[in-house]
Amino acid sequence: MLLLDYQNVLIESLLRERFAGGAPVSIDQVVSDFDGVTFHISTPETKTKILISIAIKCFSELVQYGAQEVLEREYGPFSIAPENGYDFSVQVDLETLPDDPDAKEDLIRRISLLKRNVMAAPFEQAFDEFKHLQEEASKYTSESAPQGVLEGGEVRAIHYREEEAIYIKASHDRVTVIFSTVFREETDRIFGKVFLQEFVDARRRAIQNAPQVLFRNDPPLELQNVPGVDRSGSNQIGYVTFVLFPRHLAGQRRADVISHIQTFRDYFHYHIKASKAYIHSRMRRRTADFLQVLNRARPENEEKERKTASGRTFRVQG
Amino acid sequence: MVCQAASDHHWQAPPHYDSRHDGIAGGRPRTTQCAFQRTTTSSRELPGGAFTMSQSLRPYLQCVRSSLTAALSLSNFASQASERHNVPEIEAASSPEVILNPLTVSRNENEKVYIEPSINSVRISIKIKQADEIEHILVHKFTRFLTQRAEAFFILRRKPVKGYDISFLITNFHTEEMLKHKLVDFIIQFMEEVDKEISEMKLFLNARARFVAESFLTPFD
Amino acid sequence: MASQTPAVVMDNGTGYSKLGFAGNDSPSFVFPTAIATKGPTGGAGGSGSGRPAVANKPSFLTGGAGPGSHLSAKRGTEDLDFFIGDEALSASGGPGYGIHYPIRHGQIDNWDLMERFWSNSIFKYLRVEPEDHYFLLTEPFLTFAEPLNPPENRENTAEIMFESFNCAGLYIAVQAVLALAASWTSSKVQDRSLTGTVIDSGAGVTHVIPVAEGYVIGSSIKSVPIAGRDITNFVQSLLRDRGEPDSSLQTAERIKEEYCYVSPDIVKEYARFDREPEDRFKKHTVNYPNGKSVQVDVGYERFLAPEIFFNPEIYSSDFLTPLPNIVDTVIQTSPIDVRRGLYKNIVLSGGSTLYKDFGRRLQRDIRHLVDARIKASEARSGGAKSGGLDVQVISHKRQRHGPWFGGSLLGQTPEFRSYCHTKAEYDEIGPSIVRRFALLGGPGST
Repeated sequence: MLLLDYQNVLIESLLRERFAGGAPVSIDQVVSDFDGVTFHISTPETKTKILISIAIKCFSELVQYGAQEVLEREYGPFSIAPENGYDFSVQVDLETLPDDPDAKEDLIRRISLLKRNVMAAPFEQAFDEFKHLQEEASKYTSESAPQGVLEGGEVRAIHYREEEAIYIKASHDRVTVIFSTVFREETDRIFGKVFLQEFVDARRRAIQNAPQVLFRNDPPLELQNVPGVDRSGSNQIGYVTFVLFPRHLAGQRRADVISHIQTFRDYFHYHIKASKAYIHSRMRRRTADFLQVLNRARPENEEKERKTASGRTFRVQG
Repeated sequence: MVCQAASDHHWQAPPHYDSRHDGIAGGRPRTTQCAFQRTTTSSRELPGGAFTMSQSLRPYLQCVRSSLTAALSLSNFASQASERHNVPEIEAASSPEVILNPLTVSRNENEKVYIEPSINSVRISIKIKQADEIEHILVHKFTRFLTQRAEAFFILRRKPVKGYDISFLITNFHTEEMLKHKLVDFIIQFMEEVDKEISEMKLFLNARARFVAESFLTPFD
Repeated sequence: MASQTPAVVMDNGTGYSKLGFAGNDSPSFVFPTAIATKGPTGGAGGSGSGRPAVANKPSFLTGGAGPGSHLSAKRGTEDLDFFIGDEALSASGGPGYGIHYPIRHGQIDNWDLMERFWSNSIFKYLRVEPEDHYFLLTEPFLTFAEPLNPPENRENTAEIMFESFNCAGLYIAVQAVLALAASWTSSKVQDRSLTGTVIDSGAGVTHVIPVAEGYVIGSSIKSVPIAGRDITNFVQSLLRDRGEPDSSLQTAERIKEEYCYVSPDIVKEYARFDREPEDRFKKHTVNYPNGKSVQVDVGYERFLAPEIFFNPEIYSSDFLTPLPNIVDTVIQTSPIDVRRGLYKNIVLSGGSTLYKDFGRRLQRDIRHLVDARIKASEARSGGAKSGGLDVQVISHKRQRHGPWFGGSLLGQTPEFRSYCHTKAEYDEIGPSIVRRFALLGGPGST
């Protein structure tokens, strides 16, 4: 696996199975998703009514940035009063499903993207704000532009994990997305640095149209007046800045960019871990090689016939 | 005694090396530290990649091989401290008279081998090249991985001697059971391959990081 | 960060892996412990050609990596190109991928593949940041028929979980003990004890494992070479003998799962089939992807197939001991002071124990054996009366994924985290820390 999925695979496969006409069964699962998200998938009333609820740590912040409107738009008729202990709930009735297979598939996709959609709100807001600022700015020359237009909008902070946050700021020519990321492990910190350097260099080297990526250990300028930002500049915390340009913010690209950039933190940490796993397998091989060399020092091994796992025999070479 | 023999017969040190006597290591009597330093300081200042195998690595490994071969003249020796025990004297360090002069073979200050001989056991400690923090963490991970499997390696010490990354302990029982020159081969091959492995892992990490970064950024394009 | 997150429970078996979150009554994912990687199918030895693997060393050293191609050529990204579970099975159907099973006989056989299997389990399916969660993993029953599960296996598991994935905490539990804990939901279980006999029957083999106070009595374990696959094969052979229009393995398996049950007495059951044929004989419809369908008659195999547990001679010529006798022997060879507890709490686990009335028949047959023995000894003693012995077989709702469910139960208890080893402890002490775990659910815990 290279890229992480945007959707929750469990919800997706569960709905697909049910929608395909599998025998109704009762479901009751509380499951986690990345970034401190909890889902409750259940059939509280009858086996044909599936209730899916989401709890997300930063919901109050997201509401501030327009999450309710986004959810209403995406789930309208399916949304119901949130289940106790959760932030938002949708319910689908298997008996009143649309007949059209494409509509069914769209509903599956929509619901399995619940986390993505709720997190999308501040991005959508910032992208809209960018558009507004861009129009405003076009009325002025760069010298005559009034204060509000020049410096751009407010910074939207989403504290989506206990120690990590996403900051989004719109300007008239860009949207800046900053991830604060914490390394609790020395190996991860060092590997992370190597990875981030490549993120920074990629645009220059290969992908000209990608967002510009910057990395630093102390908070970037955009976060100057944002409360609650750790300014100690310690090694463990890093700030990864993505500068999204107008081409990323409009048209059909907009939705994909929002889905994709959300996965950055988990993608990044997943690949640090996958590299460690690969290095483990290298070390296992190398260890086996060393053992083979050492075993050559045992004289009784010199002439002895040995068997492979499949039962074939071979001679040890000197 | 072993050290003596070594300097007489086996240390055919290349002319551009000079062996140095400083005679002050540890509290032990008769402890001599023999260090090999490259004298051509100009070549030391070249970046690591500029050395060819023949310029610096080969004499270094050759020197370790000779020293080690000499140090591996081990014989059975019962403990003088506790009755009916037979312990590696280099580890017990309870009888100074059976412990020989340790010696250091160094390629530069970041790469050296410390050989501590005694009558029935030799301890070999290796400091592996670590040019930056990536290599440092990889060396740490790899040596930890190996020592975790020390049981299968019988001559691998579970803890490295202070100041080194990995240590081996070879006793007379090992040299009786195993072929001495093959044990030396193992140490030399280990030294060669461990460097290779670390730099390959580092290359992998850079290549992977590039791939991962580009894969993430491509969908934006 | 791991403050309120549920524990991740992973039960990786030879055939299937069960993955999910503690507190749920069923795993979120159940799929084959299979991984499809680029290149041809390899046996235990991985994909490389060239020189053979180093002999004389256990797999935890090589990781089953075996020979391998040149290390320097492995700088690419092949290690990210693989599938697990059902996706692995479908990928291996096409060209380019070979299928591998990293667990053999309950034990991890290829650590490279297992590490990747876990990585995908965590990041693709469970979708968690392992730093945020505690993990409960299982390990197999120890049996003498197979090499003992060496402590190094645990250490390797810990090395992967803590060093590659940085998981917040780890507990490794023995599957049989978890299967006992799973039975606590049954109304028949009054005291939550970890003493009992676990009968675990999956696809390949049936184990009978006595457990005293949470510890497996290794010397008394017995394995029976009759399990789910044999029952399927038996159903298939009966279908073939009758010349049914479809006697494929899949159909045999469907019939086994939908129609089979355990009868109290096969002679009487035959008579019942003859007496009330319309009630007993069934018709099974097989639908094909092309829209066609056929009808398959389902007859005596309904009760005959599971009967091979109780009368193995109708199926096998080399294994003849009925399961109730095996259970009785296992308990009789266990220490005398725990036998009463072992008879009183015989717990079923695994897919092949789900036949209707399986537990009831087992309980009756074991009771007959015990009563006969008591009678004989009363007779020998000349008039002394025995107080009797309570035999109880526990069937419960969660026995299909018994070990997983036991893990889910224990993993949600408030004290679970204090029984785990944490990442910080691992970093300080090293992999040997996982050689010992305090007994979860044992005396003193709620």
